Amino acid sequence: MRLRVAGVAVLAGVAWYLPYQLDLYGIHVVDIAIVFALLAIGLGLAMGIGGQINLAQVAFFGVSAYAVAILTTKAGFGFWTSAVLAVVAAALVGLFVGIPALRMQSHYLGIVTLGLALAFTNWVTNASITGGADGVSGVPVPPLFGIDLSSEYLYYYVELVVFGLALAFALFLVRTGLGRRLRAMRDDSLAAGAVGAPVPVLRMTAFVLASLYGGVAGVLYAGLIRYVAPETFSIANMFLLLAMVIIGGRQSIIGCVVGALALSLLREVLVDFAVYAQLGFGVVVVLMVVFAPTGLAGVPARVMAVVRRGRTAGERAVLRPFQSGGSAPRPGAALEISGISKHFRGLKALVDVSMSVSPGEIRGVVGPNGSGKTTLFNIVSGIYPVSAGRASVDETVVTGRRPYQISRLGIARTFQNLRLFRQMTVRENLLVALDRSSMWSVWRYVVWPVGIWRHERELRTRADELLDRFGLTDFAEAAPGSLPYGIQRRVEIARAMAGDPVLLLLDEPAAGLNGQEVGQLREIVKSIRDSGVTVVLIEHNMGLVMSLCDRVTVLASGSVIADGTPAEVAVRPEVIEAYLGDSMNTAEIAAEVEVS
Amino acid sequence: MEVFFQTLVGGLSFGAVYALVAMGFSIVYRTMGLVNFAHGQVVMIGAYAASTFYMSAHLPFALAIVVAMAVTGAIALVIERVLRPLENKDFDLMLIGTIGFGVVLESVATIIWGATGHAVPTPVDTAPLDLFGIRIRTYSLVVLLIAAVATVTLMLFLQRTKRGAAMQAVAMDHEAATAVGIHVGRSNAIAFAIGAGLAALAGALVAPMLYVNPTLGGSLGIKGFAAAILGGFGNIPGAIVGGLAIGVLDSFAAGKFQAYSELVVFLAFTVIIMVKPTGLFGERTVNRA
Amino acid sequence: MSEPSGSAQALSPRGDEAETAGLVVSNLSVHYGGVRAVNSVSFTVGAGQCVGIIGANGAGKTSTLKALMGLVPRRAETIRFGEVDLTKVRPNDVVRHGIGYVPEGRHVFPGLSVEKNLLLGAYVRPWKGSTRDTLTEVFTLFPMLADMRHRLAGALSGGQQQMLAVGRALMSNPKLILLDEPSMGLSPKLIDDILTVLQKLSAAGHALLLVEQNAKLTFEATATCLVMENGEVAMTGTATDLKTDHRVRQIYLGL
Repeated sequence: MRLRVAGVAVLAGVAWYLPYQLDLYGIHVVDIAIVFALLAIGLGLAMGIGGQINLAQVAFFGVSAYAVAILTTKAGFGFWTSAVLAVVAAALVGLFVGIPALRMQSHYLGIVTLGLALAFTNWVTNASITGGADGVSGVPVPPLFGIDLSSEYLYYYVELVVFGLALAFALFLVRTGLGRRLRAMRDDSLAAGAVGAPVPVLRMTAFVLASLYGGVAGVLYAGLIRYVAPETFSIANMFLLLAMVIIGGRQSIIGCVVGALALSLLREVLVDFAVYAQLGFGVVVVLMVVFAPTGLAGVPARVMAVVRRGRTAGERAVLRPFQSGGSAPRPGAALEISGISKHFRGLKALVDVSMSVSPGEIRGVVGPNGSGKTTLFNIVSGIYPVSAGRASVDETVVTGRRPYQISRLGIARTFQNLRLFRQMTVRENLLVALDRSSMWSVWRYVVWPVGIWRHERELRTRADELLDRFGLTDFAEAAPGSLPYGIQRRVEIARAMAGDPVLLLLDEPAAGLNGQEVGQLREIVKSIRDSGVTVVLIEHNMGLVMSLCDRVTVLASGSVIADGTPAEVAVRPEVIEAYLGDSMNTAEIAAEVEVS
Repeated sequence: MEVFFQTLVGGLSFGAVYALVAMGFSIVYRTMGLVNFAHGQVVMIGAYAASTFYMSAHLPFALAIVVAMAVTGAIALVIERVLRPLENKDFDLMLIGTIGFGVVLESVATIIWGATGHAVPTPVDTAPLDLFGIRIRTYSLVVLLIAAVATVTLMLFLQRTKRGAAMQAVAMDHEAATAVGIHVGRSNAIAFAIGAGLAALAGALVAPMLYVNPTLGGSLGIKGFAAAILGGFGNIPGAIVGGLAIGVLDSFAAGKFQAYSELVVFLAFTVIIMVKPTGLFGERTVNRA
Repeated sequence: MSEPSGSAQALSPRGDEAETAGLVVSNLSVHYGGVRAVNSVSFTVGAGQCVGIIGANGAGKTSTLKALMGLVPRRAETIRFGEVDLTKVRPNDVVRHGIGYVPEGRHVFPGLSVEKNLLLGAYVRPWKGSTRDTLTEVFTLFPMLADMRHRLAGALSGGQQQMLAVGRALMSNPKLILLDEPSMGLSPKLIDDILTVLQKLSAAGHALLLVEQNAKLTFEATATCLVMENGEVAMTGTATDLKTDHRVRQIYLGL
């Protein structure tokens, strides 16, 4: 910590004295580099943190720069008034560009944002208000308490302050609730929704953040150059920006800044060989993508990994036993499923399924492969819409709601194939789920960051308690992917419990566990029920189902074929037939059940 | 009315080029589930290569096209090989990787041919046909004809040959394809090369209609992509209809909105893809990735 | 070989060395991430023999078959088929050594016609000459596929797709066929049809390795069976013995 403070102080000192070492050209290059660094932070927030492919960052930049130029020269507004309006305009454009993200992701989103960026370039090169290919000149020098900002040296300090604030804000954002939700959405949007993160709102937020940074960069650029023209906002510059973020490391804000500063300076050094520089950037991007997808920012971690491999760690982290919680202050919720059907393009996955689970029950859902068990969970947790029927929890109808809304009603789930947020630590995985604050509270990021900070500390305390309860304290800082499978399963259950649910859906929690771990799982599930949570679990390990569940529902080919206590169900001929393919000797089995 | 038909015919010949670009996108997407963002730049390389062989080496236009297709095919093999470690793993990284290749190709083109670009004389310089008062350039008809032949050849390849069937099989189920003995990587490489060959053909054909320069790829690529999506991504006949539609839309937008035609086309495209992400004839889900 | 006899005899596997060609697997393990799906499994399938692997969902049956095909990362002391060391064979070359694979959930190529699907099964052979004969034979075995040869595979019913998947595997003229849960999602009537097909294939001299959840089907189709539980072989025995063994039921139903 002290080291970090010292580092920041040194950097600030260097930044402060830098202009004294530079000639006029040098300071100009640095001023431009800072503008690109701001743009790169915005792009990093959208792509690296939020996982939203955004190839329209230069358009946000352009909208703002043009807005300042036009408002000051043609509408007669003052510089700072225009600046505020320009940032607002950029944010509005960001919202607009973000709309497609609600419907599509990945490649489609890339091409749509690229198309919109080209549309913007097309517009500014042709519209008369933007001065066509000539651009707009004569932007006034920004007034600032009589300081002459036409001096690029003095302007540097303005940029430095703005950049410092913007960087600090981005870092704060990434490390606190909103950034955590964005990263969770990037790693696994389905799981993020299931732990209560409002995915559609977050996607828009990613674009608005990118556009705000683009907007601020545009204002600074217009004030610096005092002339705007289309080629600044060309696709070539978009790709340069992309190269900065990829080379620096898209998931690290500092990496984005380093990439932006490095490439800006490099571009100036190579200004006489611009094409070769571009070629070099392209080659480096390709190599980075294949060999170092985390960019420069990922280098320290890779080096550390190599160093660590050399010596084995002294202390081994241990998985501690689960500590059962107190008594039940409440009985858990009732789940009522009535007449649910689900068709996928003619394929009937579920046909008129009804079941009711009483508060505080542990219910097993079993059945052969493809019998529709996971589909049922996906419907109750809001991932699939139903074709017919409805599900309700404590009288509240859940079908027709979005996953995050259902999560907020106190319904938590785990996934068959573990959906942990892979690029976040175990603690962060839990923090995402612990954070139940509404998206409206993001206003505090602007107005009252201290409130955010307090909330954050409270969440961390609760995360520590949760880690402790699940015996995961030693793994708090580990990446989930690096842990043994059994521990990952436990992390996922802990994450589901973080939202303090009244109903917990476990999808094959014992898959891949060894005998001892299955035993631990049994105790954990029992304790969870005792703390006032209704549990429904899909499981193939029949030993676990028989010994743990109060009642068992059997699905086959999308329909309920049996429902009852484990002992009742196990002797039903139709169940044995579904499992074994025949119904011979049911009497013998009945006899065995009596014995055991 | 005359103006209308004139615009329509102009639009159709550009549309044929977009259709070829779209087919290139589609065949790669169909087999690998990847959108090649460098595809537009491959078109540009194809345009340069063909026009250079045609003008400087004085090869016959048809032969120049074939040589250009071979050049881009080789480039595609390199791209596919470099990005193969990411196949079926991280689509976002592959996307960025193809963007990187696009930048590389654009700078290579600038280094070889300069930034200014060149005009290409039309290889068919007979007088325009006059049909009921509508003047149709002979070259437009040649473009339409070649595009049609290319499309039919591609369809026959996919439907009648073993390799074509294998490529489709890889697209539908790569594990089952492996089990019957198909080398998935090789199949993907061939798909990529065919896509690039189509790109070169499109570039070569469009060269005499436009001014060839290193940034040609950007807008051709994205219009071709728009065409592919409009037709339902991965659907070859859809790509043709989509291409012609974008060409005509482009042509009328140019008439109505003059310089704003690109703006109009891209906005229209965004709206269409928002309303119907699977395109006009598509059935596949959008997010294969 | 081309007489339209209707008997499966015509489908007999190629090669005269059929007696020597057996599958020998020892200490096969499969790990996904940290999960051990299959743990040191050993078994053999003699030439022309039928072996079944049964067990509940998640016991590691499918992973075992995929590992044999090289479709998942694996570790093994030996995987030998006849004289061939399969650990050194690339996944797409396994079929060239005479092993046909019918994947779980059928995995036909939905957008291609029935006939194309079958021909792709013979991808490693030239599509002329004897492949045409094999096609005729498959159509004789599954007349329904002949009727629907121009229909898209995706438009077939589940049972028909299963037959197609089996037919596709036959097209490579395999000595050994690996079948992964051919009964999944099928009605009892269709499961009987599958059984008939398996018995015909066996009678024609194909070795079969059948992975199934449906124990009844497996006991009737195979001579020797392995019962898998948690990635390990829990029991081995003849089908007749296991049929009456209560422990099989306990493993399945968790009693």
